[in-house]
Amino acid sequence: MNWRRVLSVMRKEWWHITRDKTSFILLIISPVLVMVTMGYAFSIDIKDVGIGILDQDLTPLSREYLAQLSSTNALRIEAWPGSLEDVDRLMMRGEVKAVVIIPKGFGRDLQNGETADLQVIIDGSDPNTAGHAIRHISAHTEHFATQQVAESLQGTGYTGEIISPIDLRLRPWYNPSLRYTVSMIPALVGIVLSVPAMAASLALSREREWGTLEGLIATPIGKNELILGKLVPYILAGLLSVPLLMVTAVYGYNVPFKGSIGLYLLLSLIYLFATMAISLFISVFIKSQQAAIMASMMIFLFSGFFLSGLLMPFALMGPLIKMEAMLMPTTHFVIISRNVFTKGAGIMELRAYILALMAIGVIFFALTVLMFKKKL
Amino acid sequence: MIYRIWNLTIKEFTQLFRDKLLAPLILFGPLAELLMIAWSSLQGIDHLPTAVLDLDNSSASRALVVAMENTETFDPYFVDSLDYITADVQGGRALAAWVIPRGFEAHLLDTGSSSSAIQLIVDGSDVMSAQTAVETAQGLAASYGQSLRLQTTMDSGLQTMDTPLDLSLRVWFNEEMKESNYMIPSELGFIAAAIAAMLASMVIAKERELGTLEQLMVTPIRSSELVIGKSIMAVSLGYALFLLMLAMVVIFFGVPLRGSLPLLMALSFLYMIVELGWGLMISAFAKNQMQALLITFAVIMVMIIFSGYAFPVDTMPPLMQLISNIFPLKHWLIIFRSILLKGAGIREFWPDLLAIFILGIIIYTGTIFLLRRNKLE
Repeated sequence: MNWRRVLSVMRKEWWHITRDKTSFILLIISPVLVMVTMGYAFSIDIKDVGIGILDQDLTPLSREYLAQLSSTNALRIEAWPGSLEDVDRLMMRGEVKAVVIIPKGFGRDLQNGETADLQVIIDGSDPNTAGHAIRHISAHTEHFATQQVAESLQGTGYTGEIISPIDLRLRPWYNPSLRYTVSMIPALVGIVLSVPAMAASLALSREREWGTLEGLIATPIGKNELILGKLVPYILAGLLSVPLLMVTAVYGYNVPFKGSIGLYLLLSLIYLFATMAISLFISVFIKSQQAAIMASMMIFLFSGFFLSGLLMPFALMGPLIKMEAMLMPTTHFVIISRNVFTKGAGIMELRAYILALMAIGVIFFALTVLMFKKKL
Repeated sequence: MIYRIWNLTIKEFTQLFRDKLLAPLILFGPLAELLMIAWSSLQGIDHLPTAVLDLDNSSASRALVVAMENTETFDPYFVDSLDYITADVQGGRALAAWVIPRGFEAHLLDTGSSSSAIQLIVDGSDVMSAQTAVETAQGLAASYGQSLRLQTTMDSGLQTMDTPLDLSLRVWFNEEMKESNYMIPSELGFIAAAIAAMLASMVIAKERELGTLEQLMVTPIRSSELVIGKSIMAVSLGYALFLLMLAMVVIFFGVPLRGSLPLLMALSFLYMIVELGWGLMISAFAKNQMQALLITFAVIMVMIIFSGYAFPVDTMPPLMQLISNIFPLKHWLIIFRSILLKGAGIREFWPDLLAIFILGIIIYTGTIFLLRRNKLE
């Protein structure tokens, strides 16, 4: 390996990246921009689900129950359908996520000490929001019921029903108030840091598309020198956005950073190397920039976002998907990034994932060098 | 005019098929991706590996562990000391842990005393599973506590009270509340939109990068004809991909299709045209394919926020909801899910359909305008 040659390819490639100012700024900034917007979406908690009320009873007790329902901001009464047909229409259009129906006789039954009926219709098409609505409606209803019992038992001295016999003490480690951003932003770093790799796979296929690869082939440069020289500038560009991402996470979204900054930079470097190796490997087979983009989008964007453990923990994936996920550098980096950020983990705790990243990088780099034909 | 567009379309398809890898990659790559992604959402977040430290070792504590196992959210295994819990949670082998203290049963049976405490430790660094664990545990603690308390009051001969309210819950549209029936359509919609936008964002940028746009400009073809000709190839690929994916999720993943299929097919075609417009617009001002890639990537990632995947749009702050309206994907997913799960027709979702129409007009006029202005620089 002749380092001078590697250096000249690097210089040429770096010049390629920085010559087009817009592209260069986009390359460094777009990961940050994506993290800012996605982080913002993760910082919103589900609150006030819109519900509808069909009150056929219209008694003081039913109004008291409704006041209880809207006493917190978890549920927001958005519509007052007048009939069951209205309920049907509202639910179909998705204007409300649930409708509470208070039938005639609700107040009378309660006062007579009989069981009063309540009906709740839930839109199950979004199970998350539906679950939220069910939990809050049930909790409010239970609270209302307990109050009614307590009122009717007043004077008898009976209080047993009101204290819950089990006191569940929650101890969320590493993220005491279970904020989404604390866990999601570190993971997002891994997703957005695949941008430089996507750009790198464009770079090699561009040489092929433009026919400038033939010019390079005519020079005495070796295969591995050429590939390494192509790779390093994109790794450097990616490394430039890491501090920006860290600053955004810590100061923009208040995500505590408990690990070592030096270690994190080093691990990002290894991660960037692994993603680059994969994208260069793809571009060996690919002739046009269009195809290169499609392939790297599938690998880095779809697999990266949906299958890397960002939303579904790695431990819970099925065996086949686990296998695919293990091949993806993003899966390992998501775990590394979360552990360094939230637990302050060091090399010893993370060694398995670091080794996996290095293995992916080295294997794919070797494969690229092996399959890359420096011929016409 | 038709003739000129036809020629351009032929040229596009010739270029597409010249690269033998490209067309299969666009059609079957996303299909394979969706297969895996949908498969993983079929599973959902459950069976969390859970360490249990049972210091009480009584029938009540064992009953609690069984109840925990029955929720299918927790997969309990027993450990002997707190050190194991610390090590397992730190190492990511356990996503949750329960500590049942000594005297748990004694406290429970003693009606006069305060409540018995149990501890739930969750790994907050993985907030999705932590949240699921917390919600399930709260429900479990409430119902388990209630049934036990009712039993003891009956045993001790006290008069029991019925709960004075009977809450009957009825879930519509997705009766079993299957997470996958919501997630899979979102994933499908997102993947199709991302592919379409990316595909379209390349087409004009490529001509500009290679300098062939100038050649096209000196031909009698007009900007609007150029845009139409360029989009026909992308629309047909994107639409074919969409139909393939739709067939897959309905046949293999059991996603219900309750509405009318012809309506869905017609509307998805319209939507595909509009969605491509986004890509074409980026393409019209990007100088080369690298820029087009970087801008489209950022747009796609913002799009995912408004796709309702992981973030429900209905509960976002007003400003975000306002912004979400400029993404055709958001409207499309409302329509798509309404047809699939609710069996809805145009009467129910016409506002979103109208929004897609208007967006389409704005996007295409903008693209033609941009193209006319940037013709030669």
